[in-house]
Amino acid sequence: MFQRIMRALVETGRAPHYAELARAMRLTVEQGRQLLLDVMQAYPIGWLHPETDYIASFPPLNSLPTQYRVSVGGEQKWFAQCGFEATSVTWLFPGATVRIEAPCLDCGDPVVVEMRDGRLGTVDPPGIVGHLNYGFGASRGRPAFL
Amino acid sequence: MNLFRSEEHARRWPQFNPAAEEGFIALPDLAAFFGTETRRHMLDADYLSAWYPKRAAERRAVLERLGKTSPFWLGTPAPA
Repeated sequence: MFQRIMRALVETGRAPHYAELARAMRLTVEQGRQLLLDVMQAYPIGWLHPETDYIASFPPLNSLPTQYRVSVGGEQKWFAQCGFEATSVTWLFPGATVRIEAPCLDCGDPVVVEMRDGRLGTVDPPGIVGHLNYGFGASRGRPAFL
Repeated sequence: MNLFRSEEHARRWPQFNPAAEEGFIALPDLAAFFGTETRRHMLDADYLSAWYPKRAAERRAVLERLGKTSPFWLGTPAPA
């Protein structure tokens, strides 16, 4: 199921519903839901939308839109989970130029990064930096996207 | 975990955490941090079972190479 979710995100820009996954895997809908919960438990860096069984985040991509818009081949239909995960999206599109575009949270002006097979290309402005606002680990106590 | 136009822009962000001054990472370092071997296998059929479990050790090795060895980056509890 993990790969079906990841590949659906790559192909369509959105995560599938568990009922769609269940049908594709010849499971009952409830078996599909339970398997989704198991997958999310095994991949805790992603999450379901609170109080639902909808996949919100499945890093490096996000089904719920974020400010990190991702374009491939000039088509924008993906979103990265966060600015850090955005630099990993390149590995989902081998051989392609992946463009990450986001508004700076300070001024709203664009931050643009292009990557191809892990290598940085266009970086505009050249001084772009990553910032982790709360330390990693269980003590973060803050939303992962900050 | 955000990208900013520069460190100055990040510090001007109203939600900037003053305790996160060490939270900056240069873009090439970030690309290395999120471009480790396991990341290259996210589309493999056995990613979740064979590659994802290796991620933590891999991330730690990169962070140590980058000199980011504080609890803030390594996720370990701060000394009392």
